[in-house]
Amino acid sequence: MSLIEIQNLSKYFKVLNRREGLRGAFLDLFSGDYRTVKAVDDISFSIDEGEIVGYIGPNGAGKSTTIKMMTGILQPTSGKIEVNQLEPYSNRIANARRMGVVFGQRTQLWWDLPVIESFKILKEIYEVDNETFKQQMGLFEDLIEIKKLYPVQVRTLSLGQRMLCDIAAAFLHNPKVVFLDEPTIGLDVSVKAKIRDVIRELNHTQNITIILTTHDLGDIEALCQRIIIIDKGKILFDGPVQRVNQLFGVYRTLKAQIFDFNQETLPRLNALIQTKFPDPDAVHINQSEDFWTDLIINQEKAPLREVLNLIMSEFALEDIRIVEISMENVVQRIYDGALL
Amino acid sequence: MRAYLSYARGSFLSGLAYRSGFIFAILNNLVYMTIAYFLWRSIFGDNQTLRGLTFEQTFLYVTIASSLMVLLKTWTDWEISWNITSGSIIMSLVKPLKYQWMMMAQSLGFCLMNFLSIVVPSLIFLVFVFKIPINTGVGLLFFPVAIIFSFILNTTIDYIIGLTSFYTESIWGISSTKDIIILFLSGSLIPLQFFPEAAQKVLKLLPFQAMYHLPLMMLVEPEQTASSYLVSLSVQLFWVAVILILARLFYNRAVKVLRVAGG
Repeated sequence: MSLIEIQNLSKYFKVLNRREGLRGAFLDLFSGDYRTVKAVDDISFSIDEGEIVGYIGPNGAGKSTTIKMMTGILQPTSGKIEVNQLEPYSNRIANARRMGVVFGQRTQLWWDLPVIESFKILKEIYEVDNETFKQQMGLFEDLIEIKKLYPVQVRTLSLGQRMLCDIAAAFLHNPKVVFLDEPTIGLDVSVKAKIRDVIRELNHTQNITIILTTHDLGDIEALCQRIIIIDKGKILFDGPVQRVNQLFGVYRTLKAQIFDFNQETLPRLNALIQTKFPDPDAVHINQSEDFWTDLIINQEKAPLREVLNLIMSEFALEDIRIVEISMENVVQRIYDGALL
Repeated sequence: MRAYLSYARGSFLSGLAYRSGFIFAILNNLVYMTIAYFLWRSIFGDNQTLRGLTFEQTFLYVTIASSLMVLLKTWTDWEISWNITSGSIIMSLVKPLKYQWMMMAQSLGFCLMNFLSIVVPSLIFLVFVFKIPINTGVGLLFFPVAIIFSFILNTTIDYIIGLTSFYTESIWGISSTKDIIILFLSGSLIPLQFFPEAAQKVLKLLPFQAMYHLPLMMLVEPEQTASSYLVSLSVQLFWVAVILILARLFYNRAVKVLRVAGG
């Protein structure tokens, strides 16, 4: 029996077309000029108990909108959605009792109070009995040494500590499903690793379903067995993470700053690459920010070393950087048919 | 129920985190009392009574009104407005609680904190410095009940004002307008007896007098009969019911803006 069932779900927003300037702002007060934005456009999937599913896509893809519909905050425009056999929107409170939520940009802890007070309040809100409370807090102590944070006012916690506490708070009442929206945003590498361990451990020991949205492909690789990729409101891919993993794995972006960059540089570079690697999927060239040229390299077809040698034989390079492929590029590759 | 009480406790403790502000709030109230004392002294001049009130009664009315105003100042409208404009209202909507009762509980915690930190010291000052005799009759039994109704009225009006943020994005204007209307029409600044006869008739038909004037009269007029207290309480109860229904209707409409148009 699946825990979350979504069929042909859509969410449209009506957005006012805003005009420029003071005059425009005034005219907008009386404007009926709306356009419809399809934030989520006819998506379907189902999620089983105990799964960790990565729900990813570029900014504005419709991730948060889907999460908000699953948590019962937003009402779908059309389609069916069931969480724990309940329709979240019309059963907001019953649904909320069995879920936990972490929105990375916000906190559910009481800002002015010591950490332990927030947990005591949550204990009452979710009607957690003393036995379970003790057991859960013991578990959090083992995982993140939460005891030493008990007397610390939430506002004085570091971002990493606060996020760990927020995650613990979402799991306190033993929910069936936890939604984690960007839980590692803005954190450094060691804290990210810690948070991934904690999430994996909680999923493992309590068999809690986790829906994770993130921009960090590292989170996906570390945690998820399955990913759903969404862009412009539509699902692009839904399947085991291994298949997409190859994508992240084989692609590298080589950023190069070419000396004496001028109008002829890019055509010359293109021609050079074409002669050596004629396969159109081998190397993609984008002019990105000022002075930087991005070469997205498929390492199976064009080894990074060879591409680099080739460029250096013809161009003088001021600086280079090699970075892992970004979320936006993954989506672009999928559009180009990389997974078909 | 316990969930909401723990919420109230949380906001009580949060309020305590800003304890350095109390001293100024107390001082503020004491300065107001002193000014009110001399102002009303000079208004009364040689008169024993004005509009059926003695100076002592008027002064009691005005100072308790200002303490009540401090008590009920819980900033719930601003809190809700901030939650809505910043989007943090979603953290409340993912809780298995009703938003209105959550805000009410939060306001209650704040109110209790105001009571202990500002109102009690002011009352002590009132009794020992200005030597104002507090009515010890049967009114003292009804007064706390009346205050509970005042609290519900006040917080629910704040709640409605806060929810207008779904439409307006800023409530500065509407909130100050509300504050001024309540200040003048409820009796919290000037006892309603001092309004012209015609105005008094109109004010009696509005909900604002139920917030301040009715409870205050229970303290000020000692020789009321128990039944007249019950009449006052019923009027309050009527307005509580009306405002609560309005709040529910308005919430259902307003939250659609979020739920349909996005957060």
